[in-house]
Amino acid sequence: MNKKKADLTRIGRFVMGFYVLCVLIFTWTAWEQIQNSRIRGAAYPVVAAVLLILLILYFLHLKNCQKTGKKSWGLDFIETVRKYKFLMEQLVSRDFKIKYKRSILGVFWSFLNPLLQMVVQYVVFSKLFDLRGMGITHYAIYLLCGIIIWNGFNDCATQALHAITGNASLITKVYVPKYIYPVTKVLSAGVNLLFAMVPLLLVTLIYGLFNGLYLTKTVLLIPVALVFLIIFAIGVGFLLSSLMVFFHDVEFLWGVFSMMWMYATPIIYGIDLLRGKADWLVTLLEFNPMYHYVSFLRSIIIDGCSPALMEYVVCGAFSLGMLLIGALVFKKTQDKFILYI
Amino acid sequence: MEQKKSEKIMIDVQDVSMRFMMSNDKIGSLKEMVTQLIRGKIQFKEFWALHDVSFHVEKGEVMGIIGRNGAGKSTMLKIISGIMRPTKGSVVRNGNIVPMLELGSGFDFDLSGRENVFLNGAILGYSKEFLMEKFDEILAFSELGEFIEMPIRNYSSGMLMRLAFSIATVVEPEILIVDEILAVGDENFQRKSRQRMMELMSGGTTVLFVSHNLDQIREMCNRVVWLDGGTVRMVGETQEVCDAYKI
Repeated sequence: MNKKKADLTRIGRFVMGFYVLCVLIFTWTAWEQIQNSRIRGAAYPVVAAVLLILLILYFLHLKNCQKTGKKSWGLDFIETVRKYKFLMEQLVSRDFKIKYKRSILGVFWSFLNPLLQMVVQYVVFSKLFDLRGMGITHYAIYLLCGIIIWNGFNDCATQALHAITGNASLITKVYVPKYIYPVTKVLSAGVNLLFAMVPLLLVTLIYGLFNGLYLTKTVLLIPVALVFLIIFAIGVGFLLSSLMVFFHDVEFLWGVFSMMWMYATPIIYGIDLLRGKADWLVTLLEFNPMYHYVSFLRSIIIDGCSPALMEYVVCGAFSLGMLLIGALVFKKTQDKFILYI
Repeated sequence: MEQKKSEKIMIDVQDVSMRFMMSNDKIGSLKEMVTQLIRGKIQFKEFWALHDVSFHVEKGEVMGIIGRNGAGKSTMLKIISGIMRPTKGSVVRNGNIVPMLELGSGFDFDLSGRENVFLNGAILGYSKEFLMEKFDEILAFSELGEFIEMPIRNYSSGMLMRLAFSIATVVEPEILIVDEILAVGDENFQRKSRQRMMELMSGGTTVLFVSHNLDQIREMCNRVVWLDGGTVRMVGETQEVCDAYKI
């Protein structure tokens, strides 16, 4: 079948181009933050250039590995992606098709769902309990950002929870790297999250016309927030799906835990609500990754400016850290899955 | 042993043992786990599904695996296809393996036949271009006609099996694993599928074939492994082993 080797030159060029594009967009949208940070002035271009050079060097190293047939982590990764890209595509599109297969409105629900939920919560929390008086401007949009990010994440995690147990019939029959299953589950939920951006932007536009909230160039940073969130979700997905194999209780524990987590994240309330009353909670929030992702998106949409550079580092660290933990647990336990499912 | 062709060895199974740990009660929840731990009562009973099994399969051979229920046939196949990792020993595979899936696994019942061809094909490791190219052939072989656009939850089991068989054998895999499959469909389809299997075998595909039907084994296999209680009781020429097994 496809025994050809990966064309590293092409991939390399592509990655390089992508990197340059990202840097350009980032520089343009987050210029102020860069100026306010420690790497202003000459340091910024230097950092960017050094990273580019490192990237080029790494690719040269990979090419060398490919030629000499040496093993390398990066090469393995590229090969796996190449080999299983089609399968992942198929699995993601399967999940997606199945989700709305028998509903009349179909994919439209991806747009409608967060919107309706926002309306309900907006009415509850502005008419029944008035949470607006906490220094939150544009409460409707504030709420919508929070709901979309949280639901996106929760959907990813809950889908991934069943990734291994739900595909038991396949796992016991065909050899496919097992991590494909949780990753594709998260990705297909991620596609939904991507769709949910459409109503978010639409509502913000319409709302903004009447309330003086304008989208700025920072919307270009939305993909960054999503990528952070998806990577984090993949990490959580790894962890949950492998635990689920051994303890089915995880399903119910996760239900309670995610609810707890949701209320611990400022989605419906503002962080100012806690100040003075429960300062320890405010400190604790710093360690809540979801808080960072939610504020990341809010800062892009509502404040119209890029988050501080430190936020990128914090979000990135949470994402990669979670991915690492999840992947380690998964790798450690995956050989035993077959004996338990 | 007259068969001493020193052709390329496709599958080499060496001293494979598989141990299952059976806890006294299957621990299915955290609570049970904790209470059992506190009582210090988690004991495992060892169970060796396979014990020092060694054999090899050469290129182009059709190797039958026979044995009574619980002899370790399915475990052996799972280890060979890479789904399970053996506790001891090793399996060397020289070539891509396509397992013939059991009825319905790998299919999604809400998708149409066409979508399932692609999904199942992807699971078996075929590429997109390959599937596009061979789609008509799959469709023709499966005799599904216009039903291919229907969700397969409406299919009969014969239709499902025909589809599965058509997908699995459209490629010319180097190693094909068949777990009791040929008894599906009507007589016509059975004949067709047997013919297709013959074609594959003459085309150099190595086949591992598990069946309880000795007639089938006699008809199709060159050599047979007889597993009994997790060990190899006998390896050799089909007739020889089958005769011994029957007694």
